[in-house]
Amino acid sequence: MDFVEKYELCACLQCGKCTGGCPISMKAPLNIRSLMREVLLEGKSDRALERPGLWDCTTCATCNLRCPRGLKPAEFIVGLRAELVEAGRVPKTIIDALEGTYKHGNPWGRARQKRSEWKGDLAVKILPEEGEAEWLYFIGCAPSYDPRLQGIPRTLCRIFEAAGLDFGILGTKESCCGNEIRRIGEEGLFEELRGENTKNFRSSGAKAIVATSPHCFNAFKNEYNLDGFQVVHYTQLLTELMKEGKIKFSHEVRKKVAYHDPCFLGKQNGVFDPPREVLKAIPGIELLEFERSRERSLCCEGGGGRMWVEGTGEGKRNSEIRVRDARDMGAEIVATACPFCLLTLEDGTKTTGLEEKIHIKDIVEIVGEAIGFDHE
Amino acid sequence: MDIIVCIKRVPEVAEVELRIDQSGKGIKKEGLVFSLNDWDNYALEEAVRIKEKYGGKVTAITVASEESEDVLRRALALGADEAIRATDPAIEGSDGYAIAKILAAVIKDIPFDLILTGVQANDNGYAQVGGTLAELLGIPHATLITAMEVVEKRAKVNRELEGGLEEVLDVGLPALFTIQSGINEPRYVSIMGIRKVAQKEIKVHDLGTLGLSPENAGEKGSMIVVDRIFPPPVGEGAEIFTGSPDDVAAKVTDIFAKGGVL
Repeated sequence: MDFVEKYELCACLQCGKCTGGCPISMKAPLNIRSLMREVLLEGKSDRALERPGLWDCTTCATCNLRCPRGLKPAEFIVGLRAELVEAGRVPKTIIDALEGTYKHGNPWGRARQKRSEWKGDLAVKILPEEGEAEWLYFIGCAPSYDPRLQGIPRTLCRIFEAAGLDFGILGTKESCCGNEIRRIGEEGLFEELRGENTKNFRSSGAKAIVATSPHCFNAFKNEYNLDGFQVVHYTQLLTELMKEGKIKFSHEVRKKVAYHDPCFLGKQNGVFDPPREVLKAIPGIELLEFERSRERSLCCEGGGGRMWVEGTGEGKRNSEIRVRDARDMGAEIVATACPFCLLTLEDGTKTTGLEEKIHIKDIVEIVGEAIGFDHE
Repeated sequence: MDIIVCIKRVPEVAEVELRIDQSGKGIKKEGLVFSLNDWDNYALEEAVRIKEKYGGKVTAITVASEESEDVLRRALALGADEAIRATDPAIEGSDGYAIAKILAAVIKDIPFDLILTGVQANDNGYAQVGGTLAELLGIPHATLITAMEVVEKRAKVNRELEGGLEEVLDVGLPALFTIQSGINEPRYVSIMGIRKVAQKEIKVHDLGTLGLSPENAGEKGSMIVVDRIFPPPVGEGAEIFTGSPDDVAAKVTDIFAKGGVL
């Protein structure tokens, strides 16, 4: 199909709602409205493909949500990136992420043998080699390898265990979900990852999949073909387990907590309430709302491949804006439910010097505290 | 400009705990990930860039068993026009000299202006094949090339020297250059690109068709024979801290403070 036809560029009204809501356009040379017009008029010219802002897009999909014609500008960006990928014209750090994923199953290029190191001495069943389970817990690349995040799957496993959930993991067989790989424009590699993971899901014997990351959740739910599987984000599963009375909080968390909506959980999948329900159920928490929350949540800039390429913009990082907003509203903790958001926001506390005042936590970590697990 | 690039498939060894195999002369290959030797990737990119500028043909050659066809496919996807694999059960245990002899036998029937190899291989790092191959073919060669410009039948090449110096040579073609990493930024080779060349022919030669005998390859055909390989014994004076990043940082700053650095 023709590129203009595929992304319905003729239907664009040039109203500019996409650019107006774009969390990147205010600081980087990315003007999505103008780019769509340019490609409509001139085709996929070198001029369009060489626009530096192309790699700034976080694929947060605010533009998709706001378009009055129902177009998908963020997908159009992915389409342009795919052209660059096929031509081999990709930033070096993105090449490293793609090749690391191809060779080792994760964008950081870490050894596959070390994918289960996050577990420490925790006993978790590997499916199907070590038995059967109803739920398959998909850890994700960042929580598997990043020392700041490795405690999250550990704590979540302990929560599942305490709630009596019948679950297991894939261990070192788990490969990158491909969510960012597709958004970088490497459709072929995404297909390979989808094929490999789907084969492992089917042979695991599990009936349902729960993911740590909204990015993995999004890929499995919307971009894999997992008929017969229930696919949820962990905040949805925790809400269910709470309703069934299987999670009990014995410790107060006396903190003012602002919840940051991850784009791939909220905007792209409409999961706004489960994370808030979990936080509200924890005794002692005073839940605050950002002025920009839910559909209007400010993207942290960690999505769409941006974990592996620095933006070209010289303005403030969105994470810094977010952290300052949190301080201004008197929050002590910014809670989120996404490994990328956690890392980018935590960087924001460091670059703004607010490290001591604002703590960034994953909801799992707060739930662990409220249940009374040792601090991890 | 017809260019030949000699490439090799090597194991990725970063982060991996290597184990010695039963022979004591090699490593266990189970669980290892293999890919194109990094230096060869730069050599391929350089060859394809020259071809894109002047026209001609790029031929990628490897001396290895069938599992190495993936690096040849990658070379074709990157822009090579032909791929050749020389193989034989007798090549096991070949040193750089024996490999160069086999490459020379493959190359003798191919017209070329330029041969590029990587400076060395990620795995055993001898850096022998390039220079030896040039000697066997009777052509000039230069190593550690960090920049090159081809004009008519000559090449101007920069060599990386110690102490941050560079040497510029003017070399008549045909010639062989061993390419240093960083000479260019190799393009990305997509999975779709590799799929597109999946059906492309890879010519296969064995020692017989190359006019060589088993005595020319393997240990018999080599000047160097590996005696044994082993991990170096643990020495003294180094301490490895374990624990959480905070604990490790505290121990390190403690040492700095005691040593008067802080």
